[in-house]
Amino acid sequence: MEYFNAVGIGQLNNISMRKEIFKTFAKRGWTSLLVLFLLMTFLFLLLRISPGDPSLKYISPKLSPRLTELVKKSFSLEGSMPAQYKTFILNLAKGDFGISYTYRIPVIRVIERALPFTIMFSLLSFFIQIVSGFLLSMFAVKKINGTADKIISKTSLPVYAVPSFAAGVFLIYIFSEKLNIFPSSGLTSFDTESYSFIQKLIDYAQHLVLPVITLSFNGVAVFYKYLHDNLEDVYNKPFVENLRANGFTEKEILRKHIIPNAVNPLISVAGVELGLLFGGALITEVIFSLPGMGRLTVDAILSRDYPLVIGCTFVAGILVILTNLCADIIKAMLDKRIAKGILN
Amino acid sequence: MKINRLILSLPLIIILVFLSGCQKGSSEKSGRIIAAITSDVESLNPLFAFSDNEGNISELLYASLVQHEWNYKKGDMDTFPMLAKSWEWNGDSSSITLYLRDDVKWSDGQQFTANDVVFSFDVYSDPIVQSKLYGSFRNFFTDTAMHIDLKKTFVAKSSFVLTINFKKNPSPTFYDIDFPIIPEHVYKNINRKDLITAEKEIKPVTDGAFSLSQWNKNQSLILKADKKSFLYKGGNVSELVFKIVPDYNSGITQLKKGEIDLMEDIKADDYPVISNDGSLGIAAVKGREYDYAGWNNLDPDIYKKTKHVVPNKLFGNADVRKALTLAINRDEILKQFLNNHGEVAFGPVSSIFKDAFNYELHPLPYLPDSAKKLLALAGWKDTDRNGTLKKNGQEFSFTLSIPGGNPRREFTATVIQNNLQALGIKIKIEKLEPDVFFQKMFNRELEAWVAGWTVPIPLDLKSFWYSNLTDAQFNVAGYQNKAMDELLKKIEVSPNSNVKNNLYKKLQEIIYSENPVTFLFWDDKLIAYNKRIQNLSVSPLGVFQRCWNWSTK
Amino acid sequence: MHRSIKIRQFILMLALLLIITRYSLIAKVFFLFFLYIQLLFTSPELALAQISFQFIDFAVSIILLAAAIIYFLMAGKKVKYFQSNLNFTSAVIILLISFFLFAPLITDNNPDFQKDLSVTKLLPPFSSVKVLHLNNDNYSTGNTVDKFINLKSRVIKNSFDDSIIFIDSISAGNKLTYYQGGAEVLLANDKVIFKNNTPLITTRTFILGTDELGRDIFTRLIYGARISLFVGLGSVLISLLLGLFLGFFAGYSEGFIDTALNRLTDMFLAFPVIFFIILIIALFGNSLPSVIMVLGFSGWMSLFKIVRSEVISLKNKDFFVSARLIGLSNIKLLLKETLPYILVPVVVNLVFQYGNVILAEAALSYLGLGTGSSYPSWGSMIEAGQNYLSQAWWMILFPGLALFLTLFAANSLGRKISSHFNPRVNS
Repeated sequence: MEYFNAVGIGQLNNISMRKEIFKTFAKRGWTSLLVLFLLMTFLFLLLRISPGDPSLKYISPKLSPRLTELVKKSFSLEGSMPAQYKTFILNLAKGDFGISYTYRIPVIRVIERALPFTIMFSLLSFFIQIVSGFLLSMFAVKKINGTADKIISKTSLPVYAVPSFAAGVFLIYIFSEKLNIFPSSGLTSFDTESYSFIQKLIDYAQHLVLPVITLSFNGVAVFYKYLHDNLEDVYNKPFVENLRANGFTEKEILRKHIIPNAVNPLISVAGVELGLLFGGALITEVIFSLPGMGRLTVDAILSRDYPLVIGCTFVAGILVILTNLCADIIKAMLDKRIAKGILN
Repeated sequence: MKINRLILSLPLIIILVFLSGCQKGSSEKSGRIIAAITSDVESLNPLFAFSDNEGNISELLYASLVQHEWNYKKGDMDTFPMLAKSWEWNGDSSSITLYLRDDVKWSDGQQFTANDVVFSFDVYSDPIVQSKLYGSFRNFFTDTAMHIDLKKTFVAKSSFVLTINFKKNPSPTFYDIDFPIIPEHVYKNINRKDLITAEKEIKPVTDGAFSLSQWNKNQSLILKADKKSFLYKGGNVSELVFKIVPDYNSGITQLKKGEIDLMEDIKADDYPVISNDGSLGIAAVKGREYDYAGWNNLDPDIYKKTKHVVPNKLFGNADVRKALTLAINRDEILKQFLNNHGEVAFGPVSSIFKDAFNYELHPLPYLPDSAKKLLALAGWKDTDRNGTLKKNGQEFSFTLSIPGGNPRREFTATVIQNNLQALGIKIKIEKLEPDVFFQKMFNRELEAWVAGWTVPIPLDLKSFWYSNLTDAQFNVAGYQNKAMDELLKKIEVSPNSNVKNNLYKKLQEIIYSENPVTFLFWDDKLIAYNKRIQNLSVSPLGVFQRCWNWSTK
Repeated sequence: MHRSIKIRQFILMLALLLIITRYSLIAKVFFLFFLYIQLLFTSPELALAQISFQFIDFAVSIILLAAAIIYFLMAGKKVKYFQSNLNFTSAVIILLISFFLFAPLITDNNPDFQKDLSVTKLLPPFSSVKVLHLNNDNYSTGNTVDKFINLKSRVIKNSFDDSIIFIDSISAGNKLTYYQGGAEVLLANDKVIFKNNTPLITTRTFILGTDELGRDIFTRLIYGARISLFVGLGSVLISLLLGLFLGFFAGYSEGFIDTALNRLTDMFLAFPVIFFIILIIALFGNSLPSVIMVLGFSGWMSLFKIVRSEVISLKNKDFFVSARLIGLSNIKLLLKETLPYILVPVVVNLVFQYGNVILAEAALSYLGLGTGSSYPSWGSMIEAGQNYLSQAWWMILFPGLALFLTLFAANSLGRKISSHFNPRVNS
């Protein structure tokens, strides 16, 4: 904390500063919403001109062509394109995405079921990425250019290059099919009703081990590399030498000076990584058939469930805006000097 | 210090998770059968049971008026009583009088009566409901919107005697009245327009062999045998669990471990593994699905623009189509991809329809040399010797489309491509996203494609081969033949099954000589099951049909 | 220890290796072109009909091979890069480029070649198969056309071959019997080529095994390198143009346009791009050009950021103001004044972007939305291999390895360039 106080901003100054920050955040908020609006418009147009037909699955020798006609009519929107667009935007503003073609319930209900899992899953993986990246780099940096440092640094680059879907397939093959330690898909066993709370928890954990590894290992390499370089950088700075000369122990130097200095720039990387995680979760959810937003969206796209596609995109867009905003707020809180700079 | 503690505790957590993973054994329990399905059903409501699994489950929950069983001897279905314990057709079979069971109670205690039956016909045929049977009550008195005219159709003599009058000319069958009956007292409370989205509001009040016990979304659906049901016999299966197992390989693993008892759609490659496992058995549903290579008999561009039927420059000629059939090594595809679990096909009637199948016909063999000669006779020759056939300056080249994400289609298309290239035909494979593929196929925009059809039981070939393309929505190849049209019309009106079967045999002859598409093979649908299931019968109607008769060892 | 190898030496070694192992093919190709030129004079119409993609491919490969050898023998010494020591990254990159350019010479097979599946399906690496040679009626007259077509069929391999049969074993007699995967086939003796009174049987080895359709994985891997590189380069080019143009536009005009473009970029940067890729590919098809377009459109954001910030900082510099005063147009300004300054970060970014694109292509193939099935891309090979994981590990291992090595090389190349020019800037 001493580190931040050293900046020393006066009380009066602070108030005008806050105003400034609030203003920039507000500006940022409305431009983000504008972009989201453009995004949805783009999506609307895309879905209107795309081939494919949501009523296709009602064409079957078992069903009457009359039914197909009826369903087609109920799916198609009425009115001209601008009128359709108007109702589309108005409904969006109200948060009404319509009724999912596949699930035949309001889109919001469908998303409600999938969203908590994806957020939990992404955050868990994010946490694991940061913690293990941090631990590994601390471990390596204890002795720069020592054996451990070399080994970890040499392996981090190849690890980063492993495609996560390939790793997922590989993990399933080894741990589920060959060794049969972890389940290969789903989130829970089917007969969990009789389980105690602890058993249920363990059941969840078992199902999540492989997906979390798949989703996290690339990120661990990224955070490791980034932190490692920063730590090394700070180590070589003259003020560390000074501290050492003044008789501070290595531990103290590390904890009070080096880590805070090295961690700070990490936050911006973390913001971007968290955003990327939602995309990464998509592939992982598909591989392990987990009931999250990613799989929901892919299924919605492939089955031409237009209301659901729109709903999913909208929610993902909001999430992205929020995570970016969060990252920036944290950054601004950590270092008010850069508050203005990063917001532009 | 904190960091160290964290590092230490991590392996402990992993070991804990690992150990608890080893405790799990098989979940065999007497009277309980666990079947794997790849995705959860969306609805238990029989009105909207569009997928196969939804259909199966709704038929287990809700009883129908009659039930059908496959008769292997004649290769057709037999009708048995269910909610109707007996019936009488009148002389010209324009009406049927049903004597309903009076001992059936809905699961909430209400009595089942003829009112439920009439109500069911009403709701199923109501256009506003959009039920899965809408539009298929063609033999009934209906208004222009295909809604059944209740007054003309139903005469209830008592609560348990009901007469159904049919329209004058058509020949009604039992299939017209075989569908799950719904409880009036539950459904009448909901606005018909909202039925389709009211999955949550409708309690599954059932009268079938099973009742709903538990439904954990995306995990499992548990049905319990209804001990009060007239279908229940002591000692039969008491609990039927549909477990959602999206991943095929994990399904196989669970099957071997005894965690599931039944799984459909087994890949041919896994046949040896399962049949070598002492506790597992494997059965096949034969002759329901065929794969074919479709050739667009029409010129797709002209058809798209004007809806005029103009023969395709390449595939409009029956000799060319025959040459293509001769040139495709169907045996190799069948043997190498399906490990011979199926048979080479030559027409749309499979050998399970014993009386309708034409035993005198045999699939054309793989004879690339004869194919070459046939093509040369049709005018396709490699005049400038660059390896591609030509006629009047046009090259024999086309695009073969397949839906993506289906390894069998990809395999088949690759072999076809290679076989035809050896004849000097240029062929490009195009993998389309399934939805786009089917849209283009139904609009007859594709030049050539590989796809499959499930043959409906009872046989219904008119929508597949009739020349009028607005009537025959599954005649996606745009096949045109007057003689065929005559046959199809005769089949539709002939009440006598012998006459019908002879007509079907003639129809197969025409298709055999004309090759509107190249029939590849009938593939077996493989079903693996644990041998502790007794009384399991796998008929062409599926595995879950009449599964209340199963029991466990 | 041993002396390290220079890059130039490595390239020459590869060329030499290629010539030694494929000398007969190369000689045939030269003779084929000789015949073709003859044919051009005797019957030009027929000659024109013979031109196909494979024919041009061979021509380009052989010319490039000759050019490359001459260049590296004569002039390669002068370029500093080629004189530096060979390391892992440059070895992978050189190999990839040579796969790309010389695919038809490196492997003497058609990537789609398949025959007699019962014998050749799912063979493990280094399996050999017996080949029975049939007596086909060759055009044995001496005229140029026949000679040319005969030779062409031996140089440019088709995906089918009527003159051979893959067999398990054989028993000779009055009529020849051969066995294929348990089946017995009879064959008339005069259909087979005899040598010293026994049927001519050779062997063919599949060094990386075969896939479920009996196709040679090695050949598919080499040709797959082409698709992967092509998709990567194509979409990186699109990203480059978009990033440059939009970045310059934003940085140049500032104000509202700048803010809007910036927000859009943030959105794209943070939004899971794979959503859009899947959406567009699923909706509009997955032909090669559309995959390249979509991947290109999804990767311009970081370039935009770099170009924009460089342009803003350059704009206020003296020389830029003076250049504008002279009256240079915007495009000229971009090309002449800004490009040299942003070259290094842009190149570094492109290299990373290239890795991302290759990865995305493979991921798309994994989801079944890859580049159709006419082309053997690495991603689609992995996708196919998944279904045979327990029976044929080689189907997924080799393309997976190739993908991994390419990604790895791209990433470390990016790092190297950036640290070479700007030692303390991390990407």
